Amino acid sequence: MILVALRGLWGRKTRAILTAISIVLGTAMIAGTFVLRDQITGAFDSIFQTGLEKTDVLASKRTAFTSNNGAQPGPLPASLIGTIAHVDGVARAEGQIQAAGALVVNGKYAGSSSGAPSLVVSSLSDAFNPYTFSAGHAPTASGEVVVNSKLADDKHLKVGQHVQLATAIGLKPVTIVGIFNLGTASSIGGATIVGTTFEDAQQWYDRVDQTSTISVKADPGVSQQQLKQRIIAAVPHFVKVQTGPEAAKEQANQVASGINDFLTPLLLAFAGATVFAGAFIIFNTFSITVAQRSREFALLRTIGASRRQVLRSVLIEALVIGLLASLSGIVVGIGFAKLLDTLFDRSGSGLPTSAITLKPLTIWLPLVVGTAVAMLAAIGPAFRATRVPPIAALREGAELPPSWMARHRGLLASLMGAAGLGLLVDGVFDKGGVVHALFGFGSTPSVLISMAGGAILCFLAVAMLSSYVVQPLAEVIGVPLGLLIRLGDWIGTQILRVPGLGRAWYVVRRVVSYVLAFLLFMLLGGMVCGILALISTPLALFGLLVSAALSIYAVFRVWRRTETEWPPERPSPLTSQLARENTARNPARTAVTSSSLMIGVALVVFVAVFVNGFKDSFLGALDNSITSDLIIQSDSFSPIPAEAVPAAQAVPDVQTAAGIQFTDAKINHGGIDTVNGIDPLDFPQLYKFDWQKGGSDALLGHFQGDEALIEEQFAKSHHLQIGQHFQVTSIEGNKLNLKVVGQYKDPVLMTGISIPTSTFDTWTTNSDPGVLLVKFKPGVNLDQGKAQVAAALKQFPVATVRTNSEYKQHTESQVNGFLTFLYVLLAMIGIISLVGIINTLALSVFERTREIGMLRAVGTTRRQLRRMVRYESVITSVIGGLIGVGVGLVFGWILTKGLSDQGIQFSVPVSFIIVVLIVAALAGVLAAILPARRAARLDVLEALQYE
Amino acid sequence: MVVAAHDVTRDYGEGDTIVQALRGVDLEIPPGQFTAVMGPSGSGKSTLMHILAGLDRPTTGSVSIDGQEITAMGDQELTLLRRRHIGFIFQFFNLLPMLTAEENIVLPLRIAGRDAETGWVDEVISKVGLSDRRTHRPAQLSGGQQQRVAIARGLVTRPTVMFADEPTGNLDSTTSEEILVLLREAVESYGQTTVMVTHDARASAMADRILFLADGLIVRDQGRASEQDVLTAMAEVSGQ
Repeated sequence: MILVALRGLWGRKTRAILTAISIVLGTAMIAGTFVLRDQITGAFDSIFQTGLEKTDVLASKRTAFTSNNGAQPGPLPASLIGTIAHVDGVARAEGQIQAAGALVVNGKYAGSSSGAPSLVVSSLSDAFNPYTFSAGHAPTASGEVVVNSKLADDKHLKVGQHVQLATAIGLKPVTIVGIFNLGTASSIGGATIVGTTFEDAQQWYDRVDQTSTISVKADPGVSQQQLKQRIIAAVPHFVKVQTGPEAAKEQANQVASGINDFLTPLLLAFAGATVFAGAFIIFNTFSITVAQRSREFALLRTIGASRRQVLRSVLIEALVIGLLASLSGIVVGIGFAKLLDTLFDRSGSGLPTSAITLKPLTIWLPLVVGTAVAMLAAIGPAFRATRVPPIAALREGAELPPSWMARHRGLLASLMGAAGLGLLVDGVFDKGGVVHALFGFGSTPSVLISMAGGAILCFLAVAMLSSYVVQPLAEVIGVPLGLLIRLGDWIGTQILRVPGLGRAWYVVRRVVSYVLAFLLFMLLGGMVCGILALISTPLALFGLLVSAALSIYAVFRVWRRTETEWPPERPSPLTSQLARENTARNPARTAVTSSSLMIGVALVVFVAVFVNGFKDSFLGALDNSITSDLIIQSDSFSPIPAEAVPAAQAVPDVQTAAGIQFTDAKINHGGIDTVNGIDPLDFPQLYKFDWQKGGSDALLGHFQGDEALIEEQFAKSHHLQIGQHFQVTSIEGNKLNLKVVGQYKDPVLMTGISIPTSTFDTWTTNSDPGVLLVKFKPGVNLDQGKAQVAAALKQFPVATVRTNSEYKQHTESQVNGFLTFLYVLLAMIGIISLVGIINTLALSVFERTREIGMLRAVGTTRRQLRRMVRYESVITSVIGGLIGVGVGLVFGWILTKGLSDQGIQFSVPVSFIIVVLIVAALAGVLAAILPARRAARLDVLEALQYE
Repeated sequence: MVVAAHDVTRDYGEGDTIVQALRGVDLEIPPGQFTAVMGPSGSGKSTLMHILAGLDRPTTGSVSIDGQEITAMGDQELTLLRRRHIGFIFQFFNLLPMLTAEENIVLPLRIAGRDAETGWVDEVISKVGLSDRRTHRPAQLSGGQQQRVAIARGLVTRPTVMFADEPTGNLDSTTSEEILVLLREAVESYGQTTVMVTHDARASAMADRILFLADGLIVRDQGRASEQDVLTAMAEVSGQ
């Protein structure tokens, strides 16, 4: 039976490959995700290990918790350098300052572009510094700086060049004296690094008599652990002492997990959705081929094969497809990761890329998932194959009796759908209580599993139930389609009546179709070339030539075809009617075919609804709460130097200017939340509080000391009332006892709690404001005022000055950029569904060979046949699109309702949905190209004799 | 008796639209006999063969193969029956298109997990005259050659009885002749009991015994006859 299975697969190579593509893409995404994650981790590991390879022990300020939002624990007193130097076994101890800052070159701020930090680091002596200089030397005198090679390359910096450095106290003139390499990487994730002398860094970044870290070298014969223990004994408790390797590991983990904790689950989710969509394709293909091969199975049964043997044969096919597809997927995934590397490198975000290492997980997880999914999807059809009676070998067209599942499909699907919805709702509103109760998982995994599991069940249920709506939907779509064609026909006939006009109109149509064909090919070619260009320019040029050649060829083909079409034949409404009926003929099959597209569309709509709801709530909150004229923030979300606030206030046209400070704090009741620092006098003029529980701006009149205003969500999760006390701990470990004096609602901008600036400043060293709000005096022209403030803040180029509307635009474009990224990932599913539709169409054309022969024999032209297949494809895709839109809206509604108290609103993006449906229809047209040609090419006689 | 049927009836449908394909057929087939079953269309000959071969169940009556009552057998038992006792040749589509001739021939043995005795397989292949085409796929074989492969496959398991459903229906006269000669030889060389349904008088002329069916009943049961006699008998039977 293995022989039968394998031979059968080999005989149907093309079909098997088309079926397998879906699994290949899905497993490629899984493998690629893990390769990327391991690369990132590996790269950061090597960067930080190299950086600290000459350091035996590192001392820094202890943190009370791990902050994901970049809260820094502050500096150590510089006197500790001397203390440590005197510890027995210490050969050398040096201090180092780390701060945020960047160069200003020719008036332009040269900070990092990709959201990575812009770092200023004081130089260590050769005893500790592992980096090599490709030009120049380390800074020795005041005003000398060195830069990392990527920064030098990007901004064309040379040794000896005079530039400026953005410091906490304004711009300082500096001279570049050296360019260095960070070991193998050109940068740390795109960060710019400027090196200064230790004393300059202290002066310029408010660290006089302080140091960020202390690097220690051991005497020969003293181990790192020994030295570490000795130093611990000699320093105060707030000093964290680690060996070099320990520190490297911790820092690498922090940076890597910052990226991976976000990227990996996201990519895996998309990979999972892709694999899931692929399962539908496999199910469908196997169902169709099993039906087509029923005589084969019957034959096997007549010569004595048992049902189990038949089952095994089908499952072996699925196993082989799954295995080979997964293996190919792994290879593709690695290639994909390599492509991403090059893309990242070229686009400047410079994610460090270590050599590609293959951990076992990267190999066996995609393999297991791909193979398991393929086999699971094929189980249904496999069982169906066993039910072919032997007598079907003798008789033609023996109908398989409906299986148990098919008979109870409605009930089964409804149950599944209900369970799925229930899980979803539970996941959103109850934080996955059911899953937690059943399996005991933690809160976050429970939520994720509930939502993912619920979504899967819902998709399966919808796919099963959609067979009921196929017919009505086919009418809804097909009838207007037929009417459109009739309309076009009528218009065409009228035009033909006018002598000359008909021919002219025809020529115009031809020209338009040439141009469209040309543009389409150039567009596709252009996209591919764009990607190639990032890899190598000559390759891109070659690609451009090929696209141009293909486009001209396409135009030529269209010309040839249309040349034989004068006078053009009248389109027959029969074609669309046949198409509609064919689609409705086997609703179950149409439903499953459209299902994979349905999944893709549903996810796209869901993402659109959710992200837009998110964006709207943020923008809405800005509109409602911010009453200032300017919003000033750093594009890399690093804090703005505190000196910028008085600089803004000094501008004559400014009425009020104040900063909002942000930091993370550990709440004594548990968890980490945001603490905002506000100026009680100025803030009410810049921000409108949405007071609750009878609060008012009057509270701010005497807001001071240990008083705190809490946000509604904070109050709920920590169960705090007005008048109660709680405690917060800063990143350095400073505790603060606070009393609740008021409650406001703002789940978007001012989350967590708000305390007075004066309290904030004494409690933590992270006192630079995260955002600066400015309001002008009445009557001041907005643009002029903005120009004045920008001029005043030239000393602090990290701060980008924007008006409210500019800030909103900026936010929108960032969100849209992220959305586009998500859509590109979802496009994978789109490609798979396209392949699925092609597959199914080709198979059904094959199935209907005799029918098609009959149609041709009674006068249907090839063109009409092609049209029929095309319409079928369009109807199927649009069905998938319509159902997908419905499902996506439902998912989006559930999620936004669940997060409504965090300000997210639900709105239906109508124009987006229309675009999506049009794209689905176009996908249908695209998918039909090959099967339509196949159908048209069938030889009439052969087709009629076909058995 | 290799095959025995007693009072077999087969109805299709119910009530007003009931069709009685077989109305009480009794027959017994001894070992080594080549039986032809003839009749006009609608006579029930194909239905009879399906029931005798265990592919279909009679409405009433009993059928036994090699002494085993098959009408009450479940699917698994029937499957085992097909492995050991029954061989098939059809009019169309006998072979799996992706296997070679030889692979098609030994397929029943592999399915049963039995080892092919190489000598026997070689003999069967040379008996049907396909020694030089063992490795060809069905698409590379003519209709006659494909039927030879089917015959070889039927013979290779040495079944108790071989059923053939219009084996020459799709072949031209010369090729049909060859196939029928082959079937005859199998009966004579190996004592292979064979039951053949046909409407071709020439095919029936090859058989040891000819059963004529009309309207669901056996109306004539005669021994070997010439083609001319068969045609005359057919005319008489159809006339009734």
